[in-house]
Amino acid sequence: MTAGDLVLQQAINGLSLGAMYALLALGFTLVYGILELINFSHFNVFMVGSFIGLFVLHALGIEGQSVILSGLPLIGALALAFFVTMMTTGMLGVGIERFLLRRVRHVKGPAAMITSIGVSYVLFNVILLTLGADGKNFPNPLPPVQFAIGGAVLRLREILIWIIAIVLMGGLTWFVGFTRMGKAMRATAQDPEAARMMGVEVDRVVMMAFFVGSALAGAGGLIFGLYYNYTGAAVGFNAGLRAFTAAVLGGIGNVPGAMVGGLIIGLIEASGGQLIATEWTDVVIFSILVLVLVFRPAGLFGRVAPNKS
Amino acid sequence: MLTRRSTFKAVAGVAATAALGASHSAEAADQVVKIALEMSFTGADATAAVRAAQGAMMAIDGANAAKTVPGVKFEYEKFDDGTATAGQYDPAQGATNARKMVSDKQIMASVGPQMSGVGKAMSPILSAGSLATITPASTNPDITDPKFAAQYIPNGKPVYFRTVATDAYQGPNMANYMAGTLKVKTIYVLDDSGAYGVGLADAFQAQAEKKGIKVLGRDKLDPKAADYSAILTKIKSLNPDAVYYGGVGQAGIKLAKQGYDIIPNVIKAGGDGMFGADMLTGAGFPAVEGWYATQASPHVVDDPKLAKWSKAYSEKYKMGPDDYTVTSYDAALVIIGAVKSLKTAGKPITRENVRDAIHAAKVDTLQGPVEFDANGDLKNKVISVFQIKKNSDGPLDDPASQYKYVGVAPTV
Repeated sequence: MTAGDLVLQQAINGLSLGAMYALLALGFTLVYGILELINFSHFNVFMVGSFIGLFVLHALGIEGQSVILSGLPLIGALALAFFVTMMTTGMLGVGIERFLLRRVRHVKGPAAMITSIGVSYVLFNVILLTLGADGKNFPNPLPPVQFAIGGAVLRLREILIWIIAIVLMGGLTWFVGFTRMGKAMRATAQDPEAARMMGVEVDRVVMMAFFVGSALAGAGGLIFGLYYNYTGAAVGFNAGLRAFTAAVLGGIGNVPGAMVGGLIIGLIEASGGQLIATEWTDVVIFSILVLVLVFRPAGLFGRVAPNKS
Repeated sequence: MLTRRSTFKAVAGVAATAALGASHSAEAADQVVKIALEMSFTGADATAAVRAAQGAMMAIDGANAAKTVPGVKFEYEKFDDGTATAGQYDPAQGATNARKMVSDKQIMASVGPQMSGVGKAMSPILSAGSLATITPASTNPDITDPKFAAQYIPNGKPVYFRTVATDAYQGPNMANYMAGTLKVKTIYVLDDSGAYGVGLADAFQAQAEKKGIKVLGRDKLDPKAADYSAILTKIKSLNPDAVYYGGVGQAGIKLAKQGYDIIPNVIKAGGDGMFGADMLTGAGFPAVEGWYATQASPHVVDDPKLAKWSKAYSEKYKMGPDDYTVTSYDAALVIIGAVKSLKTAGKPITRENVRDAIHAAKVDTLQGPVEFDANGDLKNKVISVFQIKKNSDGPLDDPASQYKYVGVAPTV
């Protein structure tokens, strides 16, 4: 491998990681943009999503690394897995909002955030106690297709992750920008009181933000499993913290910011492993979090938060 | 010295009685001697823990059934040092367990722990309580090294015994094997940042350099991180003949998975942390195919002489034993033997006496005669090398059928 190949390969690694972080970061940002709440239960909604994807694939008879699909069956299996996972985690997010967070929404102070931390730990421990703490072998139905670009290797799974991430993020951008519900979301994000007076049903908007954010987290979890062929109860914290950093880096509440932030964090993680040492990667990533908060508290693209006037 | 055959007969007798499951209720006068079983029952190493604990339980049940020590009824109590938040063993929980064990007056000795990181946390507490433990699996040499006696055995007398060799042999002997048999010239060394992993990788690396293997780099993996593609890509660009990984399954599973994708043609090897069902279920084939792993004990579980014992174990627990099941069984036998020697000599069964009797023990076990040196280490040190080779005739998650024994790692 030449230096050029190496840079390219680490860029491929970093962009794949970044796509996952970006999907997860969007959930933080959507909810923050509307409620100014950092929803920590999001970490483990992502983890639950990867397990639901695992169950769906198992139910389809795809276990371990021996079942390889291609063509329509592959597309069908993945479409079903993504659909079921995203619907389930979406509903999980809605449930968390409707039954727990809504009750503390108007309580002053950090009550809602602490509730979300509690929910996160409950999800983590429920999975841990029912499914065990050992790493799970996640099925990989993708054919082992890969393309050599010089000395670097681009695998089908990376292309797939990018396609899915681009489709989902494109869909979200369209949804927020061009649908009625999207407009209602932006209106609520700008000024919930004024939006309410204009006839926006704020509760529905909030629920929708949780649904969309959690569905994206579920998709992220499934992608995580397909990419690493691995999942476990502890995967949420690590990925979640990095995605949260990505959201802050891009400017929390800012949708394009979360996407770019995710990609940047992914690239930093890959180049940190190459240039410094893997054990220092966390130090680098979280130093960036601290530095952004100190010197550019609104993030790279500016923060979007409800107007409290 | 007793021959292996007579050893086997004695042990098989115990095992056979145990298999019958005939446990007579203790007579009122029987003294209860409790043996703690300290393993990582929660987390990434849980299956290995269950196998090992059952080995000790089988020996204890066998001794009760055969009334090996008249007037004594053995009991066991499990202590779990794995925690949910760690996702694997947790030294802090080990320390808590050690305190609980010391405060239970009926506990006279312990089998465990499985993990060196836990052993380091437990040893000083056990030393203060004069409570001896025999580890069937933890191999970090520091704990029994006289250099660190002030730290690990402040009370002066050894309390940490082993029925396995240490990483002072496991790492270096594997380096010899890689240089000699596998003809490795260049290597990249990884560890999982844990006490066991770092120590093993250090010992390996030092000997590898002595044997003229060029070490191209050394890195630590974060066992909680998901992505090792950056470091594996770096390794790929350096193109080493082999990768050596010191560590346990939590990082090991992900390393095997991603290593298979990124550096499929590099020889990959680890220590006993890479030996076990966790690898086969968590990483699975084809990712684990070709990995080398070692065990710090002689490979006796496939020995035809142990066939009867293995069968009894499999029938009792519905799973096959591995080599650390044997060392765990042996550890319990040594404790039982020590209690028996006290009884025969008419000495009271106290923790101090049990500790001294274990240290002086010469017990014939499944792996052969067990004797300890001045520091509590096994006198007879053997490192066995295995390679994972898919064997479709056996269950794909059973280490006994998927890890193929390839020989003893040489001491030079």
